Amino acid sequence: MNGTAPRRDLSVAAAIVALAALLAVAAPGFFAGANLLDLFLANLPVLIVALGMTLVILTGQIDISVGSLLAVCGVAAGLLAKTGLPLPLVAVGTCLTGLAFGAINGALVAYAKIPSIVATLATMVILRDGLRWTTEGAWVQDLPPGFQWLGTSQSIYPFVAGGTAIALAGFFAWGLQHLAAGRAIYATGSNRDAARLAGIPTAFVTAAAFAALGALTGLAALLSVVRFNQIPSNAGLGFELKVIAAVVVGGVAITGGRGRIGGTILGVVLLGMIGPALTFLGVNAYWERAIQGGIILAALLFDALRTRPVTHAAAVATTR
Amino acid sequence: MIRGAATRKTGRQGEWILLAALAAEVVIFCAVAPQFATVGNFFEITRLSVELGLLAIALTPILITGGIDLSVGSMMGLAAVMFGVANRDWGLPVPAAAAVSLLTGAAGGALNATLIARLGIPPLIVTLGTFSLFRGIAEGITEAAVNYTGFPPMFLAIGQGYLWGVVPAQLPIFALVLAAYVVLLHRSVVGRALYAIGFSPAGARYAGIPVGRRLALIYVLSGVVSSLAAIVYVAHLGQARSDAGNGYELDAITAVVLGGTSVFGGRGTLWGTILGLFSISVLRNGLRLAALPSELAGVMTGVLLLATIAIDRLRTRHTAAAASRGDDVYSATPRPDRIGRGDEDEDFDVKNSQVAVICAAMLVGSLIVAATNAWLVRSLVSTAPAAAPGAAASPAAAPASRPVIAMMPKAKGDPYFVSCRVGAEEAAKELGVELIWDGPTGLDAARQNEVIDNWITRKVDVIAVAVENRGGISTVLRKARERGIKVVTWDADAEPDARDFFVNQATAEGIANTLTDEAARLLGGRGEFAIVTGALSAANQNEWIAFIKQRLQQHPGLTLATIRPSDDDRDKAFAETQTIMRVHPNVKLIMAISAPAVPGAGEAVRQANRKDVNVIGLSLPNINKPYVHAGVVQTVVLWNTRDLGYATIHSAVQLLRGGLQAGAATVDVGRLGALQIRGSEIILGAPLKFTRANIDQFDF
Repeated sequence: MNGTAPRRDLSVAAAIVALAALLAVAAPGFFAGANLLDLFLANLPVLIVALGMTLVILTGQIDISVGSLLAVCGVAAGLLAKTGLPLPLVAVGTCLTGLAFGAINGALVAYAKIPSIVATLATMVILRDGLRWTTEGAWVQDLPPGFQWLGTSQSIYPFVAGGTAIALAGFFAWGLQHLAAGRAIYATGSNRDAARLAGIPTAFVTAAAFAALGALTGLAALLSVVRFNQIPSNAGLGFELKVIAAVVVGGVAITGGRGRIGGTILGVVLLGMIGPALTFLGVNAYWERAIQGGIILAALLFDALRTRPVTHAAAVATTR
Repeated sequence: MIRGAATRKTGRQGEWILLAALAAEVVIFCAVAPQFATVGNFFEITRLSVELGLLAIALTPILITGGIDLSVGSMMGLAAVMFGVANRDWGLPVPAAAAVSLLTGAAGGALNATLIARLGIPPLIVTLGTFSLFRGIAEGITEAAVNYTGFPPMFLAIGQGYLWGVVPAQLPIFALVLAAYVVLLHRSVVGRALYAIGFSPAGARYAGIPVGRRLALIYVLSGVVSSLAAIVYVAHLGQARSDAGNGYELDAITAVVLGGTSVFGGRGTLWGTILGLFSISVLRNGLRLAALPSELAGVMTGVLLLATIAIDRLRTRHTAAAASRGDDVYSATPRPDRIGRGDEDEDFDVKNSQVAVICAAMLVGSLIVAATNAWLVRSLVSTAPAAAPGAAASPAAAPASRPVIAMMPKAKGDPYFVSCRVGAEEAAKELGVELIWDGPTGLDAARQNEVIDNWITRKVDVIAVAVENRGGISTVLRKARERGIKVVTWDADAEPDARDFFVNQATAEGIANTLTDEAARLLGGRGEFAIVTGALSAANQNEWIAFIKQRLQQHPGLTLATIRPSDDDRDKAFAETQTIMRVHPNVKLIMAISAPAVPGAGEAVRQANRKDVNVIGLSLPNINKPYVHAGVVQTVVLWNTRDLGYATIHSAVQLLRGGLQAGAATVDVGRLGALQIRGSEIILGAPLKFTRANIDQFDF
């Protein structure tokens, strides 16, 4: 199916190149190594969660609870670390926390048959307000000394985190195309009935995609909190929209079955660079959000005009 | 086909489930929430539901066609700002300004409609883009700071007045829109076409329905109705600002989905939406009247959502199995098995299981409420003995029952207000009064009004509020005073005639001057600095920035290089500070004026190892201790937040017991001794400056 995908990633790549060219002329300081490293680290959580979100959207579902889950997992990481567990166990525990909540979402969607947007809307509110209720806004403080930078140092940590993210991205990009599980995800999202009749356990595939997203959200939370020495309990507000925007701008079809990890990565790069790029170009902060929305819409518009469906009926079909 | 019994029946059944839930809510709250079952409270609930209800009504047909519109809340922000611009800047009369606002809504809706219906881009992505675009334009036009107020009283009456003494004035507008949508959706050919499109777009197309034009119509209407909601919102709060309707889209979608409308399209009714809307509103209202934590509302809404949909799905699976179609009911594609599903017997069977599941859900819900109540009662009992000496020491005769002081922060989870609460509870314990602590979870002027309305209904003795929006809240505070409730403001003031006293911790000018002078001292009177603020539209921060700019005239050597938002998010403040240090290498001082932004900026400076950059700001000592000790953050300015909460409760109780009257020169507040009163402002004292030398003496 993905062979016939509209290559929205080409439009996104064009937008990135255009923005980069503008920056190279107007604000070459943007390309300083240290700045790129900062941007990379800041967008790492978005990238990691976007990988999982790609799986979920490919199966034809969506998860809007990742922002709340990011906050929950961050606090969980802090609390685990404060119990004195060794850091590797803290990392595993955080990912398992994410995995557990992701599995709950998956079970609600795949087995309880609740539409994913509704199920995850509910878990989003429950997790966020539950966290507010229990922490009352308090931050997790007095973390053990090795917690920041995960027991490494500020100069080594980027290699650890970056290596993890690149390995994960490479694995998912390869696995989706070449592993049976990856093909099952495409099949489930393209045509669930056909997939089931072909012997693919579609409900399990869907639930597993949500569980994987949960585990990746746990990992993202861990990698984002270890850059600091205290953990706020209100992290990740609006994070789900950032992730979903990156995935769909990167060309993954919201109806499932079409899209690639490469496109998602381009989407994360574009959305991650717009904000800082506008600051470098001296754009007033007040207009930033409008320009971000405008760039997303422009990429969509360009894409729609380029690949405009020939018949009206086809146009109707794509609105689904 | 669509007019067939199947659609009718499913609609009715979804409503039946929800009606049961709503009835259970009402029964529970009648038992536990004082003043819940009154006519006045019923109308307050409807008033507070109007804006959200308008959005939910507009979203219902969109969801029925299988689409979604995430931009409705942002459109409210843009339409509110356009109304303000037209009325206040261009000097247009209110009707013309309203027309400008509605036209903006129509234009925004048309943009969505073009992209969705004409170019065939999925609605979720399109409206995700316009969600940013509309809010962004609103922020750009107003620089996020302009707050349009001073609208004519005739106009404000639409949002604040009553018809015949009890009916909120905006209710007829809501009823009219609802009636129009009912005719459109349930009584017209267009409405049937919308169901057909949701059922199967291609099928609808082959049946001769102009799919594109029908879709375009409802997206344009959604824009128009959102801007109508914005006008009602402006009249209700008396202010037009770019943050109007922030986050409303998710609440509205929740109401629609709760009402039994399927997100896959083809199914749902407006009556269901109205029921969904009221089950959310009643839940919020009841929890507040019962003085239960408002976070519970979110948790229980989520549970209710899962429960009702799960029940619905159970039934669907049952009937789908009967149609031998297997387990694909969550499929996003239109399915032929919808045709002629279910018959009477089967429905009856499933109803029994539904009853069982609903009962279970209700049981869990009421257990939560009961448990929380029990906990509440126990905590009250345990404080009672401690209360006795305080009450006895009071010169005025203590009322027969314990007085109830309702205290509201600007945002509940904010560490700043959490530490104020500690002092407030200390004072409440000392004086033997009952303290209700509630408020919005984020900065939200509309929600503050809602909570105060609920407190008036509950007939608390004193309301103490940290005001988010001066103009908007004053009307409702005046109403409280008319009903004999004492009103104290703290942290930030309302209009002077809307409250008895203001507990003033420090003036905006004093804070701005302290910060600016401190910056000048650290920079040696010369150099560039940058401000990291909270949200761009935060009223307090914008007032401080205005005074900082004014104070800069006395320090001609200082230049303000840029102002960046942090949205009260530590991680965003961190990233913004990193960018500031690169784009403006000459900036030698970061002034962070939001509590989480100071540690964020401090961490950025520390990781960049820029020893030449100073960080100062307004924040809490505890979260900054590591940075102050590391020498990254030089000075944190703040007053003693615990004392602020403590003094507020003491003043409130003295006011209630007659120990504090208008014209008094001082007020005695327990362990703080006598505080000076200037006019009707109780002065807490000068702001504290936390530095490496003294920060360890403070713990909040």
